[in-house]
Amino acid sequence: MNANKPQLGTLFLTYLKIGTFTIGGGYAMLALVQREVVDKYHWLDEKEFLNMMALAQAAPGLIAVNSAIFLGHRLCGWRGVAACVAGAVLPSVVVILLIAMFFSQYKSLPAVEAVFKFIRPAVVALIAATVVRLAKHIR
Amino acid sequence: MLYLQLFLSFLKIGFLGFGGGMAIISLIQQEVLRYGWATEQEFVDMVAISQVTPGPIGMNCATYVGYTAGGVWGSLLASAGIVLPSLLIMTVVCRLYDRIRNRWQDNKVFIWVMRIVRCMVVLLIAHAAVTLMTPASFPDAASWIIFGVVFVCSILPVFVPSAPGTRLRRTLDAVSHPIYIILFFGAAGLVKYFL
Repeated sequence: MNANKPQLGTLFLTYLKIGTFTIGGGYAMLALVQREVVDKYHWLDEKEFLNMMALAQAAPGLIAVNSAIFLGHRLCGWRGVAACVAGAVLPSVVVILLIAMFFSQYKSLPAVEAVFKFIRPAVVALIAATVVRLAKHIR
Repeated sequence: MLYLQLFLSFLKIGFLGFGGGMAIISLIQQEVLRYGWATEQEFVDMVAISQVTPGPIGMNCATYVGYTAGGVWGSLLASAGIVLPSLLIMTVVCRLYDRIRNRWQDNKVFIWVMRIVRCMVVLLIAHAAVTLMTPASFPDAASWIIFGVVFVCSILPVFVPSAPGTRLRRTLDAVSHPIYIILFFGAAGLVKYFL
């Protein structure tokens, strides 16, 4: 089924990277997941990627976490699930805890707002581009 | 009791949260207001911070609410609560899907059903992109220029043919890489702020 079974460490680090650069929720990570999982490591082809997204959205829970579970399960069974979910969740928990504990005025910093003013439209463009990239693989 | 309530509430949200991040936010909001873990204004700020920090929105929001209500343990319990139902349900879904796929992958009906499903997923992604084009995220012309530049860069590899390993391919990969794009525009925003 899968010629290239990844190491658990690779899976964990890949999802850690995806979790870290997912800014703005499930759809925002699509471009990066496709990049890593389909283009770079060939763990799934485009069709299976879309099937995975369908299942991840249809099931209750967070899309990012659900897709991490699908991929982990497909590649390495329950160990893979643990590695992917830990990677996907860790950046959230660590960053939010740090912010909640030390930087509760974080949002009102004008420098932070300036950074995100530029990032927000870029993230929307990444999502829109994913549509173009995936549309030809529907069949 | 607070810890148990936090865990159970987020467990419930994990089981009932269909439709991903934003749908889950509204469920979290109901629980937050019902148990008085935060005021409405505090919750709006938490959602805003959840949107601009790394990680899935729902996960960020759960961690934040958990911390506000019950400190570090509260945040860990809330996070565990929201993930646990996914673990159970998605593992079963994956098993079923693998089994169905192995048995029916040559079946015409299955192939067509999955084709329609993929088509709907792509439409949902398009819908998400359009929904996110709010005045708050696109306040001025610069936003649309950034959108255009990133969109064109991201789809370049689809339309420009390039052989693996060539310099052209490496350049295309670099300019369309989501991480580089986010880092670049984040840095650009910072530079503009200090200039």
